[in-house]
Amino acid sequence: MSPIRIHVDGHELEVSEGRTVLQALDDAGLLMNGVDVPHYCWHPKLSIDGSCRLCQVEIEGMPKLQIACNTPVRDGMVVHTLTERVRRAREGVMELLLVNHPLDCPICDQAGECKLQDYAYEWGVEQARTREPRRALKKNVELGPTIVFDQERCILCRRCVRFCREVPGTGELGVFQRGDASVLETFPGAKLDNPYSMNVADICPVGALTTRDFRFKIRVWFLEDVPGICTGCSNGCNVDLGVANNRVYRYVPRRNDQVNDTWICDAGRMSYREIGAGGRLREAGVRDAAGVLQGASLESAVAAAAARLSRLVEAKGPGVVAGVASAHATNEDLFTFRRFLEELGVENSGVAVIRGEADALLVKAEKAPNAAGARAMGFGPVSTVIDRIRSGAVDGLVLMGHDVLHESLLGGVQGLARLDTVIVLDTHQSALHRVAHVVLPVRHAAEKHGTLTNHAGRVQRVRPAVEPAWEAWSDGEVLMRMGDALGFVGWDEGWDVRATSRELSMTVRAFAGITIDSVGEGGRPLAGPAGDPA
Amino acid sequence: MGLAVPYVTGYLSEHFADDGFASLDGYERRGGYQAARKALKMAPSDVIELVKASGLQGRGGAGFPTGMKWGFMPTATDKPKYLVCNADESEPGSFKDRILMERGPHQILEGILIAAWATGASTTFVYVRGEYEHPARCMERAIAEAYQKGYLGPKVMRSGFRHDVVLMRGAGAYICGEETGLLESLEGKKGQPRKKPPFPAEYGAFGMPTTVNNVETFCHVPHIVARGVEWFRGFGTGKSPGTTLFGVSGHVVRPGLYELPLGTRLDEIVFEHARGVPDGRKVKGVIPGGMSMPILPAGQLDVPMANEFLRERKTMLGTGGIMVMDDTTCMVRVGVVVSYFFRDESCGQCTQCREGTGWIHKIVERIERGAGVPEDLDVLLDVAGKMEGQTICAFADAAAWPVQGLLRHFRADFEAHVRERKCPFPASFEL
Repeated sequence: MSPIRIHVDGHELEVSEGRTVLQALDDAGLLMNGVDVPHYCWHPKLSIDGSCRLCQVEIEGMPKLQIACNTPVRDGMVVHTLTERVRRAREGVMELLLVNHPLDCPICDQAGECKLQDYAYEWGVEQARTREPRRALKKNVELGPTIVFDQERCILCRRCVRFCREVPGTGELGVFQRGDASVLETFPGAKLDNPYSMNVADICPVGALTTRDFRFKIRVWFLEDVPGICTGCSNGCNVDLGVANNRVYRYVPRRNDQVNDTWICDAGRMSYREIGAGGRLREAGVRDAAGVLQGASLESAVAAAAARLSRLVEAKGPGVVAGVASAHATNEDLFTFRRFLEELGVENSGVAVIRGEADALLVKAEKAPNAAGARAMGFGPVSTVIDRIRSGAVDGLVLMGHDVLHESLLGGVQGLARLDTVIVLDTHQSALHRVAHVVLPVRHAAEKHGTLTNHAGRVQRVRPAVEPAWEAWSDGEVLMRMGDALGFVGWDEGWDVRATSRELSMTVRAFAGITIDSVGEGGRPLAGPAGDPA
Repeated sequence: MGLAVPYVTGYLSEHFADDGFASLDGYERRGGYQAARKALKMAPSDVIELVKASGLQGRGGAGFPTGMKWGFMPTATDKPKYLVCNADESEPGSFKDRILMERGPHQILEGILIAAWATGASTTFVYVRGEYEHPARCMERAIAEAYQKGYLGPKVMRSGFRHDVVLMRGAGAYICGEETGLLESLEGKKGQPRKKPPFPAEYGAFGMPTTVNNVETFCHVPHIVARGVEWFRGFGTGKSPGTTLFGVSGHVVRPGLYELPLGTRLDEIVFEHARGVPDGRKVKGVIPGGMSMPILPAGQLDVPMANEFLRERKTMLGTGGIMVMDDTTCMVRVGVVVSYFFRDESCGQCTQCREGTGWIHKIVERIERGAGVPEDLDVLLDVAGKMEGQTICAFADAAAWPVQGLLRHFRADFEAHVRERKCPFPASFEL
């Protein structure tokens, strides 16, 4: 099959057969990024609707303007998106879309990220010519537990209708009535309560659909978008973290066609709250002679942990020590943990991963973002550690996180009560603190540089979006300092996540050529096989 | 017989006065189904070529060449192919398909059989306007008769050709007369036209290759097959051959149907056939082809009723529904009626149509109330211009054109409303 070439405003594009002009621009990464073809109803991950009529372009040899979203490419096609006719058509659509719009931007939460606002400024008319009253419709409609709907602001692009039909397949929404009496509503008796419902707020180009969680929290122009990864499960959905005042206000899905298209599940979206909410471990602790966990500086707690470990290993050898890795930590943290255990001579280790429900779309059974990374690093199932604990062969345990408490064989925190030394590195408080001898606060994935490996072995970048208001280091840094205190050779250089990443890529075969700086925003697949064994 | 029989008949309607013509026996006694027998002995492609050569244009409003449309149906496909008989006649001013169904249903079925053979269609869906209770019964009776006689079913006329006809009733939406709006409705969905591509010949009813033809279009086909291209081209103009059923309504002495050759002059139809305006009044304007076609003023009725001539006067033949308005008529009120209709019937998916039809109606209604401002007239034309030619289907054009036509020829009526701040035509029809 010979390639199809089309020209759009002087750009030459090589495109595959069967694509439309707008799809071809999107495939080439040019849409709204070099070639601006404004559009409302078209969405790259939904079926073509062709009804908003805003994406009309001029195509040589075709007498009428054509909608770019639904016009199939032909070899040699020449498309112009900025002619006077196109401009007039866009102006016409914009004027008509505003005939019934309430123009309530000052009190609308979408203002600042509203395509109606943006395109009206860019392509619309300055003065309204309407003398007639605008449609008075329902306000503050609760379509379901997550979404609030303003019927007056809706421009009837039907993206949300198609989303519910085509992505979760639940089809709760429809457009009822006809003509300018058309309204979006849920079908009688239906609620918009599918597990992906909040995506409709992202794809709604106007302020009609907003999430109950985010609306009126902050004006979006105060938010900085920091690219990151959802940590709710091992799918590793790409998100932008909306940050202001050193606080994460929301996750919105960031497009990655290899991972999550443009979607995220509601549970994952809401998991941003675990970053700043109560329950974080905000202070290091060291158990005193009376058996009380006393607050301590991180530095002194690291020293106390090293001293306990050192004593134990000197007395009984490293064979009585075991390590439990966290699937929430970054690859760099986990690699450092692996080296830490090696230096200490500890052979017994595993990774604890909570398992839960999965679905056919995005949600994976492993409820942590980096289980595959831990496995690629050589951490086996945590059951081998638990077996040894139960057999009485373990006296000292270094724990990352508290997911191990979900292992039924452990018998809860009581299963660790008799251990001589329990050292816990964690982002959050847990029952482990009842038995821990030292607890060390560490950073969440949204608070540090690093990479995470998703269920399919794609290594993706995280970076600090917020700074903890308390003293906390990444797991890797805590371990590095502990190693230094234990006298490991070369561990006195201080924590350098880039150096660790480079060393990981040279040491672990699956990570060959993959570093924090080489994965880019879209991530890169591991060199070797990895993934969910179940 | 009143309305049931055209005042002037032609080959389509010559036997409509005969009540028996609606039955299969009566139709066959008048030579019916001979053309279908003939066509079944021809190669399908030859039938298509014959219809192409005849120059038959669709009678549903757009005037698309019928043979060419049939030729779009794929031949190399293993999917079932479908025909649709569009009997959703809902254009205000049009009532020909109703009479064709009531008086000559077998003429339609014979046309369907020939078209089915030509296109390889296995089933025809006859989509009848919801309000057409009696025509639907007439069609149903004819379909049952044809099955009984073996003219429909597994072996049409003892050939190896199978064809089924299924009748489906609409639910009263104008937009379901648009061919893809019809297909959506046929599938049980909300009547909203589909974006094109894909066109129905590729992806039509239930996703299968489909051709949609108007009731009257089917009726011409048996005559073309029976009597040949040359005979057919003996009627009408070079570009627009054949007769059509003009429906005349409004301020005329003799409203009704008139089967006349295409190209018959509009003033001849209005003044001679329909006998002009009653009570010594004068014609003010005439809508030549159903409500969506732009109006012509009294001075422009000397036009042959064929698209190649009507286009020069910025209007079209449409469905041939001629609506005559006398000199008492307020053209702003006409605008209110027309724009309300299109506002009410717009399916609402395309921005320009959904918002434009409503805006236009509100402005025209305000002008009629005496609350118009001079700028309104230009806004009306501008909005109509922004709707025209930019939407999924031709509905927005159909809504824009009448307003443009009224302002083109009767701008003075609108200006008088604005100036006098009231309607200056007290004797006009009431809203």
